[in-house]
Amino acid sequence: MSPILQGIITIIIGVGGCVGYFFLSNLILDTLIYPARGKNIASNIRRANMVRPWLFLFPAIFALSLYLVYPVIGSFLRSLYNRSGNEFIGLQNYVELFASPEFRTAFLNNILWALVVPAGATAFGLLAAQLTDRLSWGNIAKSLIFMPMAISFVGASLIWKFVYAYDADIGLINAIRAGLFGSEPVDVMQIPFWNNFFLMFILVWIQTGFAMVILSAALRGIPEETIEAAIIDGANPFQIFFKIKVPQIMGTIVVVWTTITILVLKVFDIVYTMTGGNFGTEILPSYMMSFMFRDDGRATAIAFVIMLVVLPVMVWNIRQARAEQR
Amino acid sequence: MFPRPIEKAGPGARIGYQLLLPFVLIIWLLPLLAIFATSIRSGADINAGNVFGWPGEFAMIENYVAVFTRSQASMYFINSILITVPSVAISVSLACLAGYALAIYRFRVALPLFFLFVAGNFVPFQILMVPVRDMSVRVGLYDTIAGQFLFHAAFQTGFCTLFMRNFIKALPFDLIESARIEGVKEWRIFWFVVLPLVRPALAALAVLIFTFVWNDFFWANVLTQGESAKPITAGVRALNGQFVNNWHLVSAASLIAAIPPVIMFFLMQRHFIAGLTLGAVK
Repeated sequence: MSPILQGIITIIIGVGGCVGYFFLSNLILDTLIYPARGKNIASNIRRANMVRPWLFLFPAIFALSLYLVYPVIGSFLRSLYNRSGNEFIGLQNYVELFASPEFRTAFLNNILWALVVPAGATAFGLLAAQLTDRLSWGNIAKSLIFMPMAISFVGASLIWKFVYAYDADIGLINAIRAGLFGSEPVDVMQIPFWNNFFLMFILVWIQTGFAMVILSAALRGIPEETIEAAIIDGANPFQIFFKIKVPQIMGTIVVVWTTITILVLKVFDIVYTMTGGNFGTEILPSYMMSFMFRDDGRATAIAFVIMLVVLPVMVWNIRQARAEQR
Repeated sequence: MFPRPIEKAGPGARIGYQLLLPFVLIIWLLPLLAIFATSIRSGADINAGNVFGWPGEFAMIENYVAVFTRSQASMYFINSILITVPSVAISVSLACLAGYALAIYRFRVALPLFFLFVAGNFVPFQILMVPVRDMSVRVGLYDTIAGQFLFHAAFQTGFCTLFMRNFIKALPFDLIESARIEGVKEWRIFWFVVLPLVRPALAALAVLIFTFVWNDFFWANVLTQGESAKPITAGVRALNGQFVNNWHLVSAASLIAAIPPVIMFFLMQRHFIAGLTLGAVK
C-alpha cells in the first residue's frame, strides 16, 4: 500500500473516529440512557446535561493522561531506580548528579541561557517592532524577521553552522574576518565560555520574530493620546519610548519573556547539533540526551531537575492566567 | 495618525532610517542568504574557493535534484508528511470537542481542568521521554510512523484545547443560549453553530501545529532508531554526515527541510501570527 494512501486512511480513521464518537455518544446519551421523554423527562434532561461535558472531554483527557500524566509520574518513579531499573536507590541519582562537575556546568549554562535568550529576544523584538511600525514596507520587514520562527531548531542550527564554520571558505564569520582584517580562521565553537553566547544567539535569532509580532500588536494598542500628550510636553523619542510606551506594554513584555524562558529550558537541538555538548557548552536538555539509552534513571533525574527549574515560571504563568479569568 | 510614518519625520532621521534599516535587515538575514547562495553553486565553484563571490555557474536545480537522488531525502520527506498531517488532524479535532466543553459548560471541575491543560502545556517534554519510549516499545509502536503521530497528536491536544477553549469562550454566548432555547440539540449546536464560527481559529491552529510537529527533532530521535521512520528534521542531520564537505549539497538539504514550514508560514501568515498571539497573550 502506498504511504500516501496509508496517510489518508489514518486521517479518515482519526477524524472520522472523532466525529463518529461525538455523534454516537451524544445519540446514546439522549435516546438510550436519559431519553428526553417519559415520566422522568425533567431529571433525565438535567442528568444528560451533567454527563455531556464529559463526553466532549473524554477523548482529550484520555489522550493526555496516556501521554502526559502517566509519563510524568512514571518518570519520577523511574528516577528513583538504578540504571537497569531493578533496584530502588531513592535519591541516589540526584545526589550523584549534583556531585558531577558536568552536571554543574550544564546547570549553570542553562541558567545563563534562561537569562540571556529571553532578554535578547525580547529586546531585539521590541526594537524591531518599534522600528518597523513606522515604515511603509514595515510588514514585509516583519515577515522577513519572523521567517526564522518557521524553521526548525535543527534547520536553523545547520544554517548557522555555515556562519560559524572553521573553514574561511565556508564560514561567514571567518570569511569576514579574513576579508576585512586578514586574520587567521578561528573555530568559533571552541572559544571557551563565549561559545555559549554564540549558541544562544541562534535561539535569539529565531525567537526575535515571535517577540516582535506580539509586542508590535501591543504597541499598536497603546492609546494615542498618551503619546500625543508626551509630544506636546516636549518629550524626545527616547523618553516617549522608554517612559510612555514601554510601561504601558509591560504586561505583554512579561508574557513574551516568560513564554520564551519556558521554551529555552526545553531546547536541546541547537547544542546537540552544533557542539554535541562539547567545549563546555552542555545544557541540561542536551546533557540528558547523552544518557538516553545508557542510564534511564539518570536521564529521568535530569528531566526532573529541568522540571524544577521550569516550575516557578510555570506557576507564575498559571497564576497570571488565573488572574485574567477573574 | 499613529504610528507616525517615517516619511513625515525630518530629513536626517528619514535618510538614516531608510538606509540603515535595510542594511540591518540584510545582516539579520545573512545566514539565510549565505546558505541559499551556497546551495545554488556548483561543487567546482566551492572547491575553487569562490563561495561568496558571484557564482561561476548556477547549479540550483542540479543540487536540489542531487539531494533527492543521492540520498533518502524523499523518504524522510514523505515520513514527515505522514507524521505531521495526521497529528494535526487528530489533535485539532480532539481539541474542538474538549475546548467546546471547557468553554461552554459550567461545571465544577471546568476551571481546575482548564489549568491542568495550561500546566500540561508547559511541562518540559524531556520528562516524558523514558516512559513514552518504553510504552512505544511495549506496544510495538517504536520506530514506526504511527507511534510518532499518535504521540504528537496526544501531546499537542493540550495546547490545542487551551487555544480552542479561549477562542470559543470569546464567542457571544447568547448565540448558544438562543439555540438551546429553540430546542436545538447540543451536538447540532456544536456542529452547526460553533464549528463554522471557529473556522479561522482552526486554520490558525492547524498551521501552528503543523510547524510544531514538522519541526520536532526531539521525538524523532527518541521514538525512531533506523532510517525508515525518520522525519526530515532527523534525516537532514544524517544527510549532513553523508555529504561531508559537499557544502553545496548540505546547504540544499538544510533548506529543503526548512521549506515546507516556511511556505506554510508565507501562505498562512495572517493565521500563523494570529495563532501565536492568541496562544501567548490569552
